[in-house]
Parts: sequence; structure tokens; C-alpha cells
Amino acid sequence: MLGGGGAQAPRPVLTVADLRGASRRRRKGRLIRGAFLSAAAVSVLISALIVVALVGEAVVFLSKIDLRSLWSDGWFPRRDMFDIRTIFAGTVIVSLIAMLVAAPLGLGAAIYLSEYASQRVRRRLKPALETLAGIPSVVMGFFALTVISPDLIRRLFSGAGIFNMAAAGIGVGILVTPLVASIAEDAMHAVPNSLREASYGLAARRRSTSVRVVVPAAVSGIVAALIVGVSRAIGETMVVAIAAGATGGSLFTLNPLGPGQTMTGAMAALGTGSDRVTGGTAAFNSLFFVGLLLFAMTLGLNVVSERFVRKVRRRY
Amino acid sequence: MRKTGRLAAVAAFAALATLGAACSNNNDGSGGSGGSPGVTGTVTISGSSTVQPISSLVAEKFNAANPDVTVSVDGPGTGDGFVLFCQGKTDVNDASRPIADTEAAACEKAGVHYVELKIGLDGITVMTNPANDTVTCLTKADLYALFGPESQGFSTWADANALDETLGGAGSFPDAPLDITAPGEESGTYDAFIELAGITDTATSRGLSETQAASLRPDYQSSPNDNVIIQGIEGSNSSLGFVGFAYADQAGSGVKDVQVDGGSGCVAPSHETIADGSYPLSRSLYIYVNTDKAASNAALKALVDFYMTQDGFGSAGEADYVDLPAEQVSSTQQAWSGAVG
Amino acid sequence: MALADTRTTTDAVRRALTGRRRDLGGRLFESGLLLTLLIALATLIVLLAKIFGQGWSVFAERGTSFLTSPMSQAAGRAGIWQGIVGSLMLMAFVVVIAFPLGVGAAVYLEEYARDTRFTRFVNANIRNLAGVPSIVYGLLGLAIFVELLGFGRSVIAGGVTLAILVLPIVIITTAEALRAVPNSIREAGFGVGATKWEVVRSHVLPYAAPGIFTGTVLSISRALGETAPLLLVGAIQGTFFTGSQSLLERLQGLYTSLPTVIYTWSRQPNPDFQKLTAAAIMVLLVVLLMVNATAILLRNRYERKW
Repeated sequence: MLGGGGAQAPRPVLTVADLRGASRRRRKGRLIRGAFLSAAAVSVLISALIVVALVGEAVVFLSKIDLRSLWSDGWFPRRDMFDIRTIFAGTVIVSLIAMLVAAPLGLGAAIYLSEYASQRVRRRLKPALETLAGIPSVVMGFFALTVISPDLIRRLFSGAGIFNMAAAGIGVGILVTPLVASIAEDAMHAVPNSLREASYGLAARRRSTSVRVVVPAAVSGIVAALIVGVSRAIGETMVVAIAAGATGGSLFTLNPLGPGQTMTGAMAALGTGSDRVTGGTAAFNSLFFVGLLLFAMTLGLNVVSERFVRKVRRRY
Repeated sequence: MRKTGRLAAVAAFAALATLGAACSNNNDGSGGSGGSPGVTGTVTISGSSTVQPISSLVAEKFNAANPDVTVSVDGPGTGDGFVLFCQGKTDVNDASRPIADTEAAACEKAGVHYVELKIGLDGITVMTNPANDTVTCLTKADLYALFGPESQGFSTWADANALDETLGGAGSFPDAPLDITAPGEESGTYDAFIELAGITDTATSRGLSETQAASLRPDYQSSPNDNVIIQGIEGSNSSLGFVGFAYADQAGSGVKDVQVDGGSGCVAPSHETIADGSYPLSRSLYIYVNTDKAASNAALKALVDFYMTQDGFGSAGEADYVDLPAEQVSSTQQAWSGAVG
Repeated sequence: MALADTRTTTDAVRRALTGRRRDLGGRLFESGLLLTLLIALATLIVLLAKIFGQGWSVFAERGTSFLTSPMSQAAGRAGIWQGIVGSLMLMAFVVVIAFPLGVGAAVYLEEYARDTRFTRFVNANIRNLAGVPSIVYGLLGLAIFVELLGFGRSVIAGGVTLAILVLPIVIITTAEALRAVPNSIREAGFGVGATKWEVVRSHVLPYAAPGIFTGTVLSISRALGETAPLLLVGAIQGTFFTGSQSLLERLQGLYTSLPTVIYTWSRQPNPDFQKLTAAAIMVLLVVLLMVNATAILLRNRYERKW
């Protein structure tokens, strides 16, 4: 704002409006932003749809059946026996065996790659481990049925059946190992070298440094790795569908050397048997009920793993 | 910008390649002679996994002569197949047992009209391990005592002796582990076995409820994979199980067929004893065709017409089942021509 | 006269520091760790050896006719052509749907969104979706696309289901690629007066493109191997023969995928199908290997070091 009189024309003033640029450009920018926002909103929509679909059908299921059948002798959906304990026990057994395989293999590999391996070794072996992660689960299921079961399980335990949960569990464990290894290794790699140097400075050996300094420092990442591994093991379907047997149904069993039904296996069996049998039967709706339970479990595990990481993370 | 341009080009090329693959008429059979060229349409066949190989063969041959028809053959199980069929979702249901009353009622309620066509014969072979010397012939009472719903928990053959004697059997099973491997309840073979071995009748006469009577003991190794069942039989010295006759026939020397006594002496399963009905556990294989759809779907009618020819009926034997004897062939053909007019 | 002790302090210290030779426990520990790594890799090798050992005979006998024959009950004639075509069609859907949606969502979250509760919620939601088991996506596809929207057991339903399944992965990898672009690039754009979109389009996206592309390709390879959702959504597990159909009819019609064929064949009682299953697995693994190798090669070629 210039004061003064005189015959001069007032000097032009720069306002924000001048700096903002042509309105067409801005409008286009807003449209584009809206488009991207809707893309992001789609992800929320998907979650909502999952919850709605699962809960809706699960409610239909619960209203259709005699609630006492949720506590019967076994999971035989075509016979209206929907014993939840059976499939839950199956999931627990297979996941337990899987983690018994994946935790030592994954963590051991992670510690080795992070603390012991030279750059050259690391460059060679790490991609090989990632390749293991890329094996489709159908392939691992076939491998579990045709190799792990006869050549490993049945050779060690003569009473084992052709289909057994142990073989499926080992197969799932092999699939989960690279996941555990990669997350744990990232966590250990992120531990600052100053901690290691401090430990070596006190004349500690490599073993003590790894186990007593690096691992505890990375424990939040390691726990997260294990939790993610469990979550993946619980959700694994095809290995169980091919190798664990019990496709029609299963009595409640805790024997890993025999066939058994997990939650995912039960869903796959319903999907391939009465697959396109729609509406109508309670067996079909049970598919969604089990799916809801599975979704809730994996969601819970993922939330716990994130909370844990945030809570326990040490600040350096 | 150059890089995104190149990426876009690669993506476009990939999309075009995919479209090209999808558009191209893929090599489904060779362009054949005969059949009815120019027939188009879609036929959906589902149902029994036992009959599936036969229908699949027929569909393959039909497609060779009529390349413009889309046929799909699936085998989720007889029972599941009927549910779909009576909802009008499939055109043909393969069945390894006749339609049940409840299923027929469901079809009627949904307004689905069908015709039952017998297309082959099959048997159920009861098997044990060749090392099992003491067991060569089993009566229906024996089968109930070993497989039936009241046998849950019997872990040795001898456990079944008491029940066997109550039912009039000899009660002389050995004291050896009872390792059962057999089809599970999603399989039509399971249902057929229950029916043919008289499990349901015996169970209801002993006062079991209807649902219980229509099932076997649940505590055995069940598998829809017949090869696995055969492996299970081979794997234990005192094993027991049953499979469709075709698979048992292919199984070789690792398993031993058990003769079955249906009241008139022990009969071993063979092509002849099944064909003439003397083997107690012989069953017929059927296809159920939706007649309303056959009237409006030229492809469906053409397919079933082909099924009714010598070539079609011969597929049963080609798939290692038992061909229908001549007089049953003609009565089936008459049933079909009667249904479609 | 005894000689003076000639060991110096330096020697003593050096021996103590480099005394690995005497640290048996440490050596055992290290060997144990290496063993775990080698066991994991050994299973991979055994798996590949068994599969290739069984499946090779099929190719030796039948050559490429295995790839071009349709499915059949007869093991001597059966081939995986329909599986290959089906998988290609499904992947086309995945790319067309998941790529734009995923990149768009990631661009919004990384470039446009402010750090509000909504943004954090969306991010957490996407991370959760990435951890949902694939069969649950099959349930979603079954309930919504097959039943509610009436697409039936069609390629469309299968393709959209798979696209939704890999969407979180595309978003997460794209977001990582975008984060890796240094802010100075953006500031340079803003500095000459560009709008947000112009900066993203001309500066950020081109430089993040290799990472985005790699992420998309990796999610394709994930979708290629998926079976469970397709089983629920209706991929054919029996045999089928398609007549002549227009592209639109083909998309609405029956389909299968290579992993589904593998699953179906693995359950066949006829022992001849075991070899076929192994051969089909060989094809799938080779395709996956090629896809992954392409991703890595392209990333290495176009990657810029900052």
C-alpha cells in the first residue's frame, strides 16, 4: 500500500492469489487428489466388506444351527456336527509344529546372516532364502504329501498315517522360515554397530555379543517376526488341504501323527466339496463362520505384534 | 518420462499378448468329422467323483466332434452334486447311487424335472492286506460290526466279535489292529457302501436314529483319494477298507479282495459277477439329466444323445468300470427318448 | 641362567584376541547357526530335485504337447494349456485393477495426506489387510462377487478377487518406493512453481518407477501361486472344454488356473497323475522364476543410487 499522491499510477501489489497459479491447474490438481483419495479409500472399503460379509453369513450360520453342535465329537459339517474345538486344536497343532521348525531355522539363519556371514556369503545365501519364500503353497503341499510324509514322518514314526498333521506342520514351517528370518535379520541389522563395538571392546566373543547384546537389543523385531510367522502359519491353507487329510471331517484329535482338520483346511474342504452349494445348507454358512474366527485371530495377532514393537522398542 | 513410456509399452504388449491368448481358439481336441457341426452351447456336468471319469471321457469325445460346445465336468460328490442339480445350476448330475427321496422332493419343489439314465455298473470292493490270512469272506453282519456306526472305538478286529455274534455272524475275528482306510462321507462310494452293505437297515432295526443309521463309524482314516486308500491297505498287515471296483482292479498284488456273502454264499468281485448282479456290493452308475434344459439347450441334448450311443456307453468300460449289459442299454435309451420325445 | 621370558605383552594380547581356535563353544555355535541356514536351503534343493526328477520324464516323452494339451481324464493326454491361459487372464485382471488402485492409494498416502488420525487408520488398515490369510479373500470374493454382484464362477470374479488380494502389497511396496525418493527432488519441483500433481508426475513417479514396477511384478508372482481363494470363487477343478467364444463370453465363463490344476491333479487316484503334477509344478516354478528374475533385473538396471 503506497501512500503519496502524485500523478503516478499505483504500483501493482502482489497478493497470495497471484502466487497461486492458474485456477484450471488447481482444479485439475484437486480432481487428481480426489482420485487418489478414492483409491486409498478403496482399501478401507475392502476391510469393511470383509467384515460385513463374514459377520453377516456367520450370524446366519449361528441362527441356523443348534448351538450345542458347536461342542460335539468332531467337525463333520455335512452331518451338522460343528465342533469348534476340533478345528481349533488342528490349527494349534499344525502351527505349533510349524513354529518348532520355523523359529530355530529362521532365527538361526538370521543370526548367522547378520552377525557371522561375510558380505560375499550374505550376498549369495540371502537370495536363496528369499527363493524359499516364493514357493507356492500348493507346491509345498505336494512336497509334504509325497516326500515329508513318507520319507521323514513315517520312517521315524511307524504308526503314522499317510496323511498326518506333522508333515503338514513341517511343510508350513518351511514356508514360514524365510519370513521369520527376514524380519529378524532386519531387526538385528538395525542394531547400531556401536553396541557391538562396545561389547567387543570388553573382550566379549562373537557368540556372546550376538546372543547377549544384539539379540536382546533386537528383541522387539524378533518377537514381531515370530508373531508374524505364527499369523502366517495359522492362515496357511493349501499345505494342510493336501497333506493333512480329514477332508470330510475329523474327530477331535491331538495326535499329530494322524490326519486332522485345521480351520483353513475345513474351509478348503467345504469350498471344494460343497463348493458352489449356495445359501441353503448350514455347512456352507459354516465356511464363513470359520473364516470370521480365522480373520479375528490373524487380526488380533497383527495388532499385538505392532503394539509390541512400539512398546518394547528401545531408543538409542 | 522416457522410462515410464517404456514401461507403458511393455505393459501394453503384455496386455495384448494376453488378449491374444484368450481370443485364440485353443487346441481342444482335433476338429473332428461326424457329430453335429454347428452345435453350440454350454453344458455343465457335476456330481459323483466316481462317475466323473466316464462323463469326462464322453465330454472329451463329444468335444472332438463338436468343438463349438463348452462342456465342464466336475466331481464334488454325488450328494453335493444333487444339491446343485436341484437348484437348477447344473445340467447333468453324475450319481453313483440313485437319487434320494429328500433330494427328489427338493427337485420337485424347485420345479426341476429330470430323467434317470443308467450308464454303467460298478462294484465296491472290500479289501485287506494279503498278509491277513484269516479273513477271506465277510457277511453283511461282519461288515456292520467292523464299519458300522456302533463300532466307533473298536481298535482291533476282535473288538467287533461281540457285536458280530449278536447280529448272527461267526464272531471269529483275529486279535489284530483294525486299520481302516476308506472314503469319507463326501463320497458317493461311502453312501453306496452304507446302502449296499445294509448298514442303514441293520442300524435302524437296532434302534439307531435316522442320521446315525446313515453313517459309518467316524474314526477311520478317510480320504477321497482312492490311491491313498489303496496305499493305506498296503501299509498295514491287518488293514481293511473299500474302494470302487475300478481302482481295486488296478491296484495289483499289494491288496487282497475280500469276498462278500450277501446271503447266498461268498462271491468275489469281478466284471462278470458285477454284470450279472451276483456280487452283493454291485451298484449302478447313473446320470440325471434336466429335461427342461434338454428341451431348450441343443448342446445338452446332443451330448446326451452321444452318451446314448455305443461309443458313449463304451466309455464306462474304457474308464475301467463295467459296461452296462445290452438289455439295460436299450432300456436306458428308451428312457431317454421317452423323456425328450 | 634361565632366559628371560620372551613373550611380550603384545603377543599375549594378540593370542587372546585371536584365540578363536580355542573357542570350541563358539565354533560349535557358529556351525549350529550355519547348519540351520543350510537345512532351510537343503529343503529347497530337495524339493526342486524331487519335482524335477519326477516331472522331467513327462517332458521327455511328450515335449511341448504337455503345455498345449487341454485337461483330460487320460493321463497320457492331459495337459496344462487351460491352466496357463486361465492364469494369464487372471494376471491381466490383477495388473489392470491392482496397479492403478495401488499406486494411486500409495501416492495419496505418501504425497498428499497429512498425518491425521484418518491417515494413520488407513495405513494400519492396509498393513492388516496384507496379513489376512488368502482364503479369507476367497470368502470375500464368493460372498460379494460370485453371489451378491452375480458374476458367478467367472474369470471376472476370480480376477477381481486376486486383484484385491495383492492390492495391499502393491500399496506397501509403492509407498516404500515413494518414500525412498529424496525430498530435495520434490522441493526442486515446488521451487519452480509446480503443483503437487505436477511434481509427483514429473519428478517423483519417474524416479520411483523402478521400485514401483518391481513391487507390482512381485505381487503378480504372488498372485500366480495362489490357489485357496480361487477354489472358493469357482475355478474349475474337473475338466472342461471351451468351444468358440467371444472374449467377453470367455471372461464370463469357466476357467481354471495353473495352481488349481496342480491341486486337482495331486488328488487324483491314478498314480500316473503324480508325474503330471510334478511336471505342472515345474512349469509353475519356471514361470515364477522368470517373473522374479525380470523384476530383479529391471530393478538393478533402472535403479539410481542417491
